[in-house]
Amino acid sequence: MVLGLLKEGKGSSIGEIGKALKLNEDSVMWALEGLAKEGLVSVERREGQAAKLTEEAKGYLGGFPEEDLVREASATGELKIKDIRNQIALSWAKRNGWIDIREGMIKLSKAGEAIAHKGAYAQRTVLKELASSPEVDLSRLGKERKEALDSLKTRGLIELKSSNVITSIAITEKGRRVDTEAREDGIGQLTRDAIMGGKWREMSFRPYDVSASTAESHPARLHPMHEFIDVIRNAWLGMGFTEVSGPIIESAFWNFDALFSPQDHPTRDMQDTFFLSNPKEIDIGDIAILNRVKKMHEEGWRERWQESVAKQALLRTHTTSVSARYMARLSGVLEGSYPVKMFSVGKVFRNESIDYKHLAEFNHTDGIIAGDNLSLANLMDTLRKFYQQLGIDDVKFKPSYFPFVEPGLEAYYYDEKLKDTIELCGAGIIRKEITRAMGTDKTVLAWGMGIERLILHFLDIESLTELYKNNVGWLRARRELKIQ
Amino acid sequence: MATARFNIDDLKRLGLKADIAKGIVGSIGMEIEKIEGNEVVVDITPNRPDMLDIVGFARALSMFAGEQTPREGHYGLEGEPMIEVAVSQRLKEIRPYIAAMVVRNVDLKKGNLRYLVEFTEKLADTNGRRRRKLAIGLHDFGKVKPPITYDAAKDGEIVPLEGKAKQSFAKAVSGTDQGKEYGGIVGKGPYPFVADAEKTISLAPIINSELTKITEATTELFVEITGTSLFAVNDALNLLACRFIDVGGQVQPCTVVYGKKAELTPELNYREMKVKDLDIERALGAIIDQNKVITMANRMGYVAARYGRDTMFYVPPYRLDVLNEQDIIDDMAVAYGYERINPIPIMGSSIGIEDEYTARANRLARTMLGLGFSEAVNYYLTNEQVSFENMMAKEGKSVKVAEAKTEAITMLRTTLLPGLLQNLGSSSHDPMPQMLFEIGPVFNLEGKSPIEAKRVAMVGEHARANFAEIKSYVAAVLRSMGIDDFSLKEGTEGGFINGRCALIVAGGKQIGYLGEIHPQVLNNFRIEEPVVAAEIVLD
Repeated sequence: MVLGLLKEGKGSSIGEIGKALKLNEDSVMWALEGLAKEGLVSVERREGQAAKLTEEAKGYLGGFPEEDLVREASATGELKIKDIRNQIALSWAKRNGWIDIREGMIKLSKAGEAIAHKGAYAQRTVLKELASSPEVDLSRLGKERKEALDSLKTRGLIELKSSNVITSIAITEKGRRVDTEAREDGIGQLTRDAIMGGKWREMSFRPYDVSASTAESHPARLHPMHEFIDVIRNAWLGMGFTEVSGPIIESAFWNFDALFSPQDHPTRDMQDTFFLSNPKEIDIGDIAILNRVKKMHEEGWRERWQESVAKQALLRTHTTSVSARYMARLSGVLEGSYPVKMFSVGKVFRNESIDYKHLAEFNHTDGIIAGDNLSLANLMDTLRKFYQQLGIDDVKFKPSYFPFVEPGLEAYYYDEKLKDTIELCGAGIIRKEITRAMGTDKTVLAWGMGIERLILHFLDIESLTELYKNNVGWLRARRELKIQ
Repeated sequence: MATARFNIDDLKRLGLKADIAKGIVGSIGMEIEKIEGNEVVVDITPNRPDMLDIVGFARALSMFAGEQTPREGHYGLEGEPMIEVAVSQRLKEIRPYIAAMVVRNVDLKKGNLRYLVEFTEKLADTNGRRRRKLAIGLHDFGKVKPPITYDAAKDGEIVPLEGKAKQSFAKAVSGTDQGKEYGGIVGKGPYPFVADAEKTISLAPIINSELTKITEATTELFVEITGTSLFAVNDALNLLACRFIDVGGQVQPCTVVYGKKAELTPELNYREMKVKDLDIERALGAIIDQNKVITMANRMGYVAARYGRDTMFYVPPYRLDVLNEQDIIDDMAVAYGYERINPIPIMGSSIGIEDEYTARANRLARTMLGLGFSEAVNYYLTNEQVSFENMMAKEGKSVKVAEAKTEAITMLRTTLLPGLLQNLGSSSHDPMPQMLFEIGPVFNLEGKSPIEAKRVAMVGEHARANFAEIKSYVAAVLRSMGIDDFSLKEGTEGGFINGRCALIVAGGKQIGYLGEIHPQVLNNFRIEEPVVAAEIVLD
């Protein structure tokens, strides 16, 4: 068909041919390259360079980390150098002459202020152009763009490959002589008619150039955090734990008081916890438990305990609040059902200034086992088996302190890749004061951990903010989450 | 967690022989943050304020290493109380309590002064809740003229530390760094203060007097701790008394007089707690060697005695964290060694059951993937600009955060769509069509009660996105959820084009809405192509 069209003197570009024959560009390319191989058409190509953007680069189309940095510096007015985790951003902001560093503080230069207020950044301009048309004609690039291109290359954000682009298409003498009618017998795109009518029996399949390039496909994907949470959920479910959820908007009572956290404890400051202005208070409900918790505090901490402080509404700071609520329900569990195993996964909140390292909201998973004769040895076995399912085999334990457990421990492992010891979770045996206040005489093993830290390990991304940008390109193109 | 910085030679001078870099710090439950040359920085867990001090740290570690045993003769007081501290009734509603002692034979040379000051400041910061609950005044006893009074007054005079002349209390609060930092505790007075026969020696909890300042040459100390909790001030004084006694100091008690009631401080009482071997073994899940129980107790700083298979532990006065037997069991676990505990599986089988909502959300997510939508996971925290203004929606009731460090955070999201539109806005360079969905909770108020409701939302952006497309997707989603019988009626949700927005009605209730997003909203979110969207309630 392509040859027929060319014979009629029509079709001087791929686009034109595609339009005339209702073929997509890939099919036209295939056809042309096949015909060129047989010497039936001549195509002229321009040798040039084509840029391929890495996944990282695609993530930067909306903004480079150094741009984020100067914007943050401009917005906050003062940024300490030791708070900057993203060294790439820092070094490029410096190289671009956007910032000066004086006494550990970041000062914006004029150029930096310009960028912070939506000035154009050459690297991003060039990257954007490459994203929409990957061709690079070095001879036509200005100095600034050339430099930007080189920078992109050194950063490993783009890969330059020599490419050839078809600039003109012409039919050869040999091509003109070919009987296009007869050639049409060769099957290009298989059609319904050909299949159903049996016509395909009389035709041969025209071979394609299998190395010709094709358009990219974009799968619909789950968010990696969802996938990772499911890995964690499946690990607990597989170990016989029942999944429980609880409120995100919580009273200080279930988040702190029920867990023996003293009412004047610093974590209960505005500094660390999101308290709510609307609603300001949440009713505690169960008066019997309230009175037992009051007694626990007044005996243990020898301080006056105030119901008004416990009623404060907040965004839960850990999912241990879900475990606490579950403990309060244990009194209704039949004796034969022990040991009872429960876990939860969910969002928790800390009042942090958001930057590369800190998020104000993230995910935790907590769990408890309630029963008789449960020990640290049981707790260690449980945690080991859980982490084994995440591909972390050599989990170790050391003593640690949390106000609601005694004895308490911390699980950790040595990460060969990071060459560092990574803390995994805090755990322990819930204090008797607490279990008694919750109305149970069972021993309760408990643990809690953040999830974000772990997912960084599996996803190979640098910053947590990247995870929640939800850039469509990144969501569709990211690698599968591979555990182990 | 508080950190402390110690010189390793100083630790050796205090009798610690073990190599601190070799895991011993971790084994006792603390953590080395870094070692810089001859200095070690340690994270100290909040239950052990005694270890924030170099004396207490060296003491705990060398006993743990078995180099030293707890003092058999107990911590004791020297001599009769010589000084009386009279406490005024005026402090009752302000800062009612004080504990005090005299310490002789003190050596503050060779860096000891720095360690002492750093420790007392940290103690007032942590246990003292930034001096609100307790604050510590250290004075050169040679410059103090008893008797002592603890009182409160609207005005008075003090020569503050580093000051040259007397200043009014108000000036000392407003004009010093300490005043700026801690002045909030006392406000505009009356100001609590400690005075001797001639002068104010401390404007508690803010600043001491220059006239009784301690130096390297000081050998006798007057220590006063004021605060809002009787137990907290007494505990802190016990802690300090023990550390001075450990390095050769002699502690002479004071009589604190509250009206008709007199108390002797410090008390330095030991508490006795009996613990069964069996309870320790149960908690550990390991058998302990009966012959080693006493050694284990000694290593954790307890003098102990055996009574059959029970042990009596004598808790030294500096151990503020030991509330009951469980805390002793924790120490015994540390002494046993966590690395020696062999994991033991829990007997009995059980079935793991999924949370109903999560299971349902996962099924729905698979349907959305099948329709070509990728999943986004957005923050729950947001602000009015994104939720209402950008959406051209009337500001509704929402759950508000009282105070956030990040300006962009003021409230919890009330709908899912704004987040998804933000995502599209930041993805304008990626190939079209762009289809996103999110499943998650939104937060609303019913009267004063917060309501967490689960929803699904979807958006599609491309050149030919239109009403028919989103209607067809929504029908597919509802069918998959078992809702075959639903109808659409014209609606005017914020953010949609008038006449191209529909409310989804099923079982007589509105369960969601769908339509084409208004171009002004697209401008607001910097979206370049047409967008269709829907949001459906899951509960």
